[in-house]
Amino acid sequence: MAELKENVNENIFLGESDTDEIEHIPDVITTTSMAINEFLKKTKIQDVINWGRKNSLWFMTQPMGCCGVEMIATGCAHYDTDRFGIIPRNSPRHADVMIISGYVTIKYLPALKKLWEQMPSPKWIICMGDCSISGGPFYESYSTVQNIDKIFPVDVYIPGCPPRPEALLQGFIELQKKIMAKEDHGTDY
Amino acid sequence: MNAQDIIDSLMKSFTGTISNAEVVSDIRVSAYLDKEREESVKTVCQYLKDELGFDHLSNETAVDYIQKGEIEVIYHIASYDHPVLLTLKVRLPRDAPVIESIVPVYWNANWYEREIYELFGVKYTNHPDLRQLILPDDMLGDWPLRKDYEGFPNRTANNLV
Ligand code: SF4
Repeated sequence: MAELKENVNENIFLGESDTDEIEHIPDVITTTSMAINEFLKKTKIQDVINWGRKNSLWFMTQPMGCCGVEMIATGCAHYDTDRFGIIPRNSPRHADVMIISGYVTIKYLPALKKLWEQMPSPKWIICMGDCSISGGPFYESYSTVQNIDKIFPVDVYIPGCPPRPEALLQGFIELQKKIMAKEDHGTDY
Repeated sequence: MNAQDIIDSLMKSFTGTISNAEVVSDIRVSAYLDKEREESVKTVCQYLKDELGFDHLSNETAVDYIQKGEIEVIYHIASYDHPVLLTLKVRLPRDAPVIESIVPVYWNANWYEREIYELFGVKYTNHPDLRQLILPDDMLGDWPLRKDYEGFPNRTANNLV
């Protein structure tokens, strides 16, 4: 308990957010969910949490380019992503993974940011295809955004034009490995 | 109606306005409409639609000929009744390209003309709603498909290197 209390105080000083302030009541230990999270990150329980997270990587069906067609194919029955706990979801509010599947145009970028902000944490990003990594065939176009990794915290890059569904699956598995190794961008360790 | 008849009819009705008319094959004809003469493209299209059975505008586009200082607006007009497809071209001066809209004749020209407007800067008179189609607001006026457009990213992405 002493450790927990210490952590709590530390987090107040980190100032994660203004609304997370802890009310001080004499002889009662109060805390916030943020503080609990921060405490759990330092314990073995985080491994169990990560095991749960890595086995339910629901991704958002948000096809953006031709790669999006491969993404949809991956989500269909033939490749059976369910065995890894990877399920396509239609709403950003249900999703854990955003797949940037194609060219990001200057006009689409604000919408993409909005989708990303609508997703609840913890959340991850997979860059699928040459277009999202570097602009791909459209790297010299007047309307594509380059260096998407400066805008979003990308965890996995899958090169290819388009990558095969197997490659996308491998990308997911790499992401699972990253989550178990606590090296992902979805959580601050 | 075959290709030669169409060209003959066009040449007869718009003498001096239509030039370089040629029969490319049995199903393709092409012609230039000289902008200098006072015969608007709308009148020609109305004639094509009413008299020659060209009831379908299949495409409208533009080409930037920077060395000649011209922008060419190109109409591909086809028909549901006969197999001939007409390529009608109009040369416009590159510094001030203005042309009459053909939306009153072919309604589907609406979005084509908006797209040519945003990418080449061709101004259409009498267009019902001349705004950009999909270009972001702040890029309007750059005319990105013109040959002298400078706004391309001149570096590849960092992570390619
Ligand atoms: S990487 Fe290739 S397949 Fe994927 S969106 Fe770009 S052009 Fe299309």
